[in-house]
Amino acid sequence: MKRRTFLSTVAVAPVIAAPVLAQPTPVQQPPAPTPAAPTAPSAPPLQQQPPAAVEVVRLEPVGHDAAGEMVPHFFTAVEMATLTRLSAVLQPALNGRPGAIEADVPAFLDFLIGQSPAERQAIYRKGLAGLEQQAQSQFKKAFAAIEAPQVETLMAPLRQPWTFIPPTDPIARVLREAKADVRTATTNSREFNAGGAAAGGGRRAGGMGQYVYTLE
Amino acid sequence: MAEQPYDVLIIGSGASGGMAAHILTSKGANVLVLEAGIGMEPRHRGLKPVYDLPYRGFGKPGRLSHVLQANEFNANQWVDEQQVPYTYAPDARYNWVRARLIGGKSNFWARMSYRLSDFEFGGKDHDGFGDNWPIRHADLAPFYDRVEPIFRVSGRKEGVASLPDGQFLDDTSPDPGAAVTFAAAGKKHGMTLTKIRRSLGDGQLASSANLLLPKAQATGKMTLVTNAVVRELTVDKATGKVDGAHFADTRSGRELHATAKAVVLGASCLESTRILLNSKIANSSGVLGRYLHDQFYIGDAVVASVPEARGGKAPRGLVGGSGYIPRFRNVAKGEKQKFLRGYAFDIYTGGTPDAKYIPAWGAELDEKLNGYRGSAFSTTVMGEVLPRYENHVTLDPKVVDAWGIPVLRFNAKYTDNEKLMAQDAIDTIVEACTESGFEVLHRNAIPHPPGYSIHELGTCRMGDDPKTSVLNKWNQSHDVKNLFVVDGSSFVTGGSQNPTMTILSLSMRASEYLAEQMRTGDI
Repeated sequence: MKRRTFLSTVAVAPVIAAPVLAQPTPVQQPPAPTPAAPTAPSAPPLQQQPPAAVEVVRLEPVGHDAAGEMVPHFFTAVEMATLTRLSAVLQPALNGRPGAIEADVPAFLDFLIGQSPAERQAIYRKGLAGLEQQAQSQFKKAFAAIEAPQVETLMAPLRQPWTFIPPTDPIARVLREAKADVRTATTNSREFNAGGAAAGGGRRAGGMGQYVYTLE
Repeated sequence: MAEQPYDVLIIGSGASGGMAAHILTSKGANVLVLEAGIGMEPRHRGLKPVYDLPYRGFGKPGRLSHVLQANEFNANQWVDEQQVPYTYAPDARYNWVRARLIGGKSNFWARMSYRLSDFEFGGKDHDGFGDNWPIRHADLAPFYDRVEPIFRVSGRKEGVASLPDGQFLDDTSPDPGAAVTFAAAGKKHGMTLTKIRRSLGDGQLASSANLLLPKAQATGKMTLVTNAVVRELTVDKATGKVDGAHFADTRSGRELHATAKAVVLGASCLESTRILLNSKIANSSGVLGRYLHDQFYIGDAVVASVPEARGGKAPRGLVGGSGYIPRFRNVAKGEKQKFLRGYAFDIYTGGTPDAKYIPAWGAELDEKLNGYRGSAFSTTVMGEVLPRYENHVTLDPKVVDAWGIPVLRFNAKYTDNEKLMAQDAIDTIVEACTESGFEVLHRNAIPHPPGYSIHELGTCRMGDDPKTSVLNKWNQSHDVKNLFVVDGSSFVTGGSQNPTMTILSLSMRASEYLAEQMRTGDI
């Protein structure tokens, strides 16, 4: 659907491109006398005239997300399942606004963390593994499959006050990082902003910012 | 063909360099300003929705690992750390935040506009630590008096000894009620609630680029060259005076040399020192690069909630404004704290506390945030860092920048004095919040690493003794008489006040002195 919308936009663009400053048609001059009859039909002579001034139509390409879905490549399938469940719990759809799943946050974090320094990657890898291991040992199920009260149990470290120095426990650490990252990735998403507008306001949405383009 | 020699070569176009250009051209000097960056123009900025940014506002991971202030919107304004790196000792992280463009960091500063007091200029007289400045507030006051109207500083005359009053656009807005309540609770500690003093500039910008350099350009006496990175100053061997600088065109790598009768360094605190270290001059004292200090910085030092303001239902005037508590420790006669010197803090009221301070998630978090909406009371603490000989920069013997210029290596740490001061700040603020009936949601006494405040100072300090200082009281090199350093590197101590007004005033004073010396032929 998104791709079709994009393609139809591009297809329509040339139709809109109507010249508004075209030069008037030159007056046809009588043909010069020919010295001899041609032996074969000749092409009409090229007219020498300046190119018409044409308004350059501003094309409007759209973002990549309109053309396809993100393809995760950093997290393993198990890690991705854990992160997806965690994201859904941390930032569910609320009050008519999309949540983390609707905003494609797990796939976005796969991209973001996949590009991050090794230290940050390790926080996620170790933490997600820890959550999965705890779910398996305590509840004999994957984190992605445990019940809501069981999730609550494993997320207990988030009940501790936030501290400037982050916790060293891998689960506590990833919960803290994920809480912030999932929230930001959700509220700064196109889906959340669109959903926020539909729900009657953009409060807590990422909104607009003054972007600095690359300086030479 | 270059117009040479210039009367004065000014390196840097930020607050200090811009002021030097303004003053010197107004006195008739023909100046050349070399700026390492370019000018920021309207085409460099544009509104974008955050979801259109490649990283949804997170920014490219690892790109600006030391610029904690950077985000994906402003990432391109900071100096590229790969192009111009720096290094530090393994256990001494330093966050050096740099901008290279016309106007420098004055394009982005927080505009906090305070004077230093004699508790800073004469710090040693109060507690015996370190050294006094060779000047006092009375020496600089006439220049503060002229700088403040240029930058259109708003404020209120408060009569606080640790924060001298100035020439303000009178701020008559009422203090937020929550801040008044808080300050009343802290009065027993000596707290006084003041207005934040802020440069209004032209309404949109309060920068060298719009307030100083245009004045210099209007004289027809300024030549401004961008994309010019200075490699080193050059010295006339016959006279021992500086006679210009080698610089590189950052776009082509072309090497050039500019000639001038005098040189003013205003390249920013540590870039000026780097140029001098690379030039191997002005260091007979051996203290060039030494006494690096700044102000330690704790954002969200204490975050609280004002109960009466919750749910966005604050009575009119209770929240929605800010305030400033100037230094109140170690100012009373005979007062002895566990630490030397003092700290100050900003107060912000209103808004919603950050979600990280609410120990919940999902729907519960959303509900709690709604409950706290509009009731936040937060503080940012900045404290004096004692200038110590041990805290220093040198040239890294192995690392160079994109133009082959040796880079700086930092070795600076906070000590117990800063840690004790930070803890006292948080304890005192929490106590006052509690007595005010606020709910304390978060507290933190651990500062960011050195450099975070972007108030790096010292390394080229002034003093009366050429054996213990690089500059004299006129920001003039003890060793090289036609060399002046007019930025924050000249500071002896920094106090807890934001330094820009002092930098501007020192530059104005030094530039007028230089102009007079040139007029009389002494330089």
